[in-house]
Amino acid sequence: MKNIVAIPQLDPVPMRQWLLLGFGLLIASSYLFPVYWMVVSSLKTASEVNAATPTMFPHEPTLNAFRWIFERENIGRYLANSFLISGGSTALTLLLATGAAYALSRVRSIWMDAVLVGVMLSQVLPPPLLVTPMFVIFRQLDLVNTYTAVILATTSKTLPFAVIMLRTTFAQIPIEIEEAARVDGSSRLMAFLRVTLPLARVGYIVVGSLVFLQAYGEFVYPVSLMNKQSMQPATVGLYGFVGADYSDWGNAMAFATVMVLPVLIIFVALQKRIVSGLTSGALK
Amino acid sequence: MTDRSSLRYRIDRALDSVWIWPVLVGATVIFLAVFIGYPVIYNLVMSFQEVNVGNLRSMNRPFVGLANYVKLLDDPLFWVVARNTATFVVGNVVLQCLGGLGLALYFAQRFPGAGWLRGVILAGWMMPPLVIGAVWKWMLTSDNGVVNFALQSLGLVSSKIYWLSDPAMSLISVMVANIWFGLPFNMILISAGLAGIPQDILEAAALDGAGPVRRFFSITLPLLAPTLYALVALTTIYTMRAFDLIWTMTHGGPVDSSNIFPVWSYRLSFEVFDFGTGAAISSAMLVIVFLVALVFVRSVRAESRV
Repeated sequence: MKNIVAIPQLDPVPMRQWLLLGFGLLIASSYLFPVYWMVVSSLKTASEVNAATPTMFPHEPTLNAFRWIFERENIGRYLANSFLISGGSTALTLLLATGAAYALSRVRSIWMDAVLVGVMLSQVLPPPLLVTPMFVIFRQLDLVNTYTAVILATTSKTLPFAVIMLRTTFAQIPIEIEEAARVDGSSRLMAFLRVTLPLARVGYIVVGSLVFLQAYGEFVYPVSLMNKQSMQPATVGLYGFVGADYSDWGNAMAFATVMVLPVLIIFVALQKRIVSGLTSGALK
Repeated sequence: MTDRSSLRYRIDRALDSVWIWPVLVGATVIFLAVFIGYPVIYNLVMSFQEVNVGNLRSMNRPFVGLANYVKLLDDPLFWVVARNTATFVVGNVVLQCLGGLGLALYFAQRFPGAGWLRGVILAGWMMPPLVIGAVWKWMLTSDNGVVNFALQSLGLVSSKIYWLSDPAMSLISVMVANIWFGLPFNMILISAGLAGIPQDILEAAALDGAGPVRRFFSITLPLLAPTLYALVALTTIYTMRAFDLIWTMTHGGPVDSSNIFPVWSYRLSFEVFDFGTGAAISSAMLVIVFLVALVFVRSVRAESRV
């Protein structure tokens, strides 16, 4: 019997490509070494962390540092505050950005162009330079030491970014789809809610997560606009740990590890979409 | 039949009219005007006033003309901070763009897992700056930090380097951390630029006998130029945000060796409570950021119109 079924022979990956992969793995793992070092340090005993000769793996892995930060450092309260501030900022940002981004994607006029340039310019003003007037203004409004002040200040940082990114998302949805729904008798609101918004779902997930992460990492506004420790988010909590000259590094790294966990979860879940969202939206 | 007086009908009509667009944009415009535009102008006004803890709450404060600015220029610290800021910004921009370009070119080659590895590196950019500052501060600790240990084990240095407490090293240390932080963002955006270069031009050049180096300098680099211009502007702006890292790692010290303008401004306002002088620094920096941003917006808009 002759074998008539030809087995498709895949081209073997050439040697050169294996070498490229090997070196690429080396680049990525040395780049990510600080993340590894953070996690490993959090799992060591206090004496191993402070040993003069660092160990690459924990010899006696322990969760003592984590127990310490939950029981003594109240990391739970810091995280709850972080989620409250970043959740509030994300909701406010998306609420405001939706209308502006949609209008900017559907109407072309000199006014809309002017607004877009204004939004792009306001995106670049860094919090450390804006915090002095913000503090004085919120002080006069008696809003210092409130979550409201921090949420409003943080939203001023995330809103321009969200408008620009969501505008790109809406621009990719053909206007014809909306018009078809309108011909069928939908009002503009219904066409937007039933047709456009579901199509923009992925864009909202990406922009929403990036806005959330930016707000989650914000430090300057909470530390300057609130002085009650019980209200502070995790960034300020971590600063309390490492800002001093002497630091308790095992516990500090446990704090940092727990704090990074939500970031890593969002990153793993959305990595591909964030990469493509950034490359299509950030420079356009 | 639709009831023309019903609320629902009127809402729909209002939403369908052309007046809806300015309203939709208006909410954001008003928000940004109140929480960005007003602070920027307020900051400028404060920079001409004497603002201290006593008159912080009141609206009429003594105008002092350019006194705050003159005070800054007379301060010997000014030139130290100016030099630090220039070194920090130029070093970051050059090294982040070159490093990003190198990484992007490497992962643009065809091999299994290239795109995935590039994506994994992005994790660094997603982390809160405070965490990055904390981790680098720990790694750079002089006595039992892993960086000194690695350098000594490899025989590259004979004695410990005091990364954060030696005034000659502190600025370099915060730059290392900030470059680490910004590198993935540069890499991803340059990768997008590389993907936009038509492959057939490169192939035609290869057929004509142009080697990889020649192809890079004659085709890739010129076609990448608009992306790189935009990126240089963006990175310059982002280095102004390095405040969090510096604040965590060195607080601007020791003896102001890693102090840059945003840090100095913050210290004047929130440690010395000299809000007027703090506002003078941030006003001057905001003008610079604004000019760089205009270059950025122009280059981006020129690019997207093509």
